[in-house]
Amino acid sequence: MNKKNILKTFSLIAILALLISCNSEQKTDDSGLKTASWEEISAKAKGTTVNMMMWQGSPVINNYMNNYAVPQLKEKYNIDLNISGGQGPEIVQLAMGEKEAGITNGQVDIVWINGETSFQLRKIDGLWGPFITQLPNIKYIDLDDRYINTDFQQPIAGMECPWSIGQAALVYDSAKVSDPPRNLDELETYVKKYPGTFTISNDFSGMTQLKSFLAELGGSPNSLDGKFSEEKYDKLSKQLWMYLNSNKKYFWKEGETFPKEQTKMSQLFANGELYLGFGFSEGGIEEKIISGLYPKTARSYPWENGTIKNTNYMGILDNAPQKAGAMQVIDFLISPAAQFEKSHANSMDSNTILDIGRLPEEWKEKFANAPHRQYGLEMEDLKDYAIEEPAPEYMIRLYEDFRTQVIEK
Amino acid sequence: MLIGVVPFFAAFIYALGYSFGLLGVLNNGFTTRFWQSVFESGEFLKSFGYSAAIAIVSLVLSIGGALWVTLKFRRELDKKFLSFMMYLPLAIPGVVAGFFMIQLFSKGGFFARIAFQMGLIEKTAQFPDLVNDSLAFGIIVTFITMLIPFFTLLFLNVYKNERIEELSILAHALGANANQVTRRVFLPIILKKTWVLIALYFIFLLGAYEVPLILGQESPQMLSVLIIRETHQFDLSKISEGYVVAVIYTIVVSITAILLFLPKQKNVYET
Repeated sequence: MNKKNILKTFSLIAILALLISCNSEQKTDDSGLKTASWEEISAKAKGTTVNMMMWQGSPVINNYMNNYAVPQLKEKYNIDLNISGGQGPEIVQLAMGEKEAGITNGQVDIVWINGETSFQLRKIDGLWGPFITQLPNIKYIDLDDRYINTDFQQPIAGMECPWSIGQAALVYDSAKVSDPPRNLDELETYVKKYPGTFTISNDFSGMTQLKSFLAELGGSPNSLDGKFSEEKYDKLSKQLWMYLNSNKKYFWKEGETFPKEQTKMSQLFANGELYLGFGFSEGGIEEKIISGLYPKTARSYPWENGTIKNTNYMGILDNAPQKAGAMQVIDFLISPAAQFEKSHANSMDSNTILDIGRLPEEWKEKFANAPHRQYGLEMEDLKDYAIEEPAPEYMIRLYEDFRTQVIEK
Repeated sequence: MLIGVVPFFAAFIYALGYSFGLLGVLNNGFTTRFWQSVFESGEFLKSFGYSAAIAIVSLVLSIGGALWVTLKFRRELDKKFLSFMMYLPLAIPGVVAGFFMIQLFSKGGFFARIAFQMGLIEKTAQFPDLVNDSLAFGIIVTFITMLIPFFTLLFLNVYKNERIEELSILAHALGANANQVTRRVFLPIILKKTWVLIALYFIFLLGAYEVPLILGQESPQMLSVLIIRETHQFDLSKISEGYVVAVIYTIVVSITAILLFLPKQKNVYET
């Protein structure tokens, strides 16, 4: 390349760079929203297009959203809801990327998030709020319930709106195992009797299972409550890794590797390699049995020292262009009608976040008479086995140490 | 060239900046601590070695297989049906090949069930470890299935273009036996003409993503899987470590690519 070409190239790059950085959008003025009345917000939301990012890995959830929520929103409020796929890490990456690029009108308004994602978003100031007390339907939610108002030991402070609640549970195939293990000692006996049929997934779900084990080693369901304690973690995790390392030769694949994520573990359970499983939504087996993935003999059961119960939320991103529209959509999603539809045991089968006691009579009856699950336990059955989500530092350390202390050993 | 190179450099500078803490929402400014922790953990070197070993083994076996097929079945491959069967795997994307392997070779998969029916094993756990295993059997077999058709096609083309048929006949006429023809005529010409492509495929296998994602173990992991895991991790403050690995990998691959293409220019002027 001679000098002339080099000059041309650089000037082209310079022009491109200038064009890209001259993002002369006006940031929408949302300061009024926090003090506006609901009528004003609702009026502002009419006719808008709202973008939502959520996990699209479940056909029943997608069905609920696409075939119920979207048409209802259009009919009732003339809002077009566009849903795009993205799980926790993708949502956080999007928020981080847009923040770094200084984008003031983001691509996404609403995000469906759970504990770990909301923790990360709060860390980068990615959420807009507080807004939930302005929603009319919030009165049906019990915000004093510590499983709802606290997310990973951090108060939600109105920055995210609760949408569903669930508890993790263990799963077993009753045709293959008659008496599944309910604590760590029984698990030890179990894996020796049925080697190669148990494992822990190396993702959020698996770490939640490890949290249950850690709490059991701590001696009570509440042993991990409160702020993160380095010495408590060190003491209990040492015992946990010792337990896992001494028993892992009886795990799936002799503990040489662990499934990358929860879906892989479900597949292994479905094809009979694993006899035990673990899942949110009280095991999450109802829709899997109905769709034919899991055998009809699959059942969920509680862990003696308890499993994590947590809520998932809807949040509004800090740079969302349609905040009023987002608030309207979220208010609809927590309305009794939408929550009732969502809780159908043979469709989305997701526990309602609403406090039945606060609902008007007709809704109380509807919820009481709704069909119950055929195969899985209800959240009520697991009430005595509920543990709060511990501080996020436990999760961070578990992720890392499970890798270095168990997988890599 | 502009369209290819400028975004690449921009992305590289971005990754470099992120790895030193200059960019990134949660980073505070220039720091070498991410580079330090990556080197201290040794995970990068293990992953690099692991990826390189898998790539070399897969390449050697694929090329050996492709050479053998080219030599033995050259005439048969001109026929429609056989060539169709041979080249079918080329149309299968990596992800599909990976899941197919799982369906066939996992402990609850097709071959395991046949073995069970035949009475060779009694429980799923007794079937040998062929996917997600430490020897990367599943990954290597998938790579080989994808590469043998490609290399066979390549070698057949070189064979025709370089007139190896005629040269072999000539060598025979001059008194060479079959073995010598293979060693002195067939192999040198084919390998000399294709070694750049082979080296590029080595780089491609080194950075493969979906196949090791589906069929690989949690540790050690192949490079691209490691990088994506690190950049998507739960602890946001450590994301820079993923960028460190990405930067090192890019530098190594770029240097290799440059070295590959430099000597070529010199050869043009030699007789």
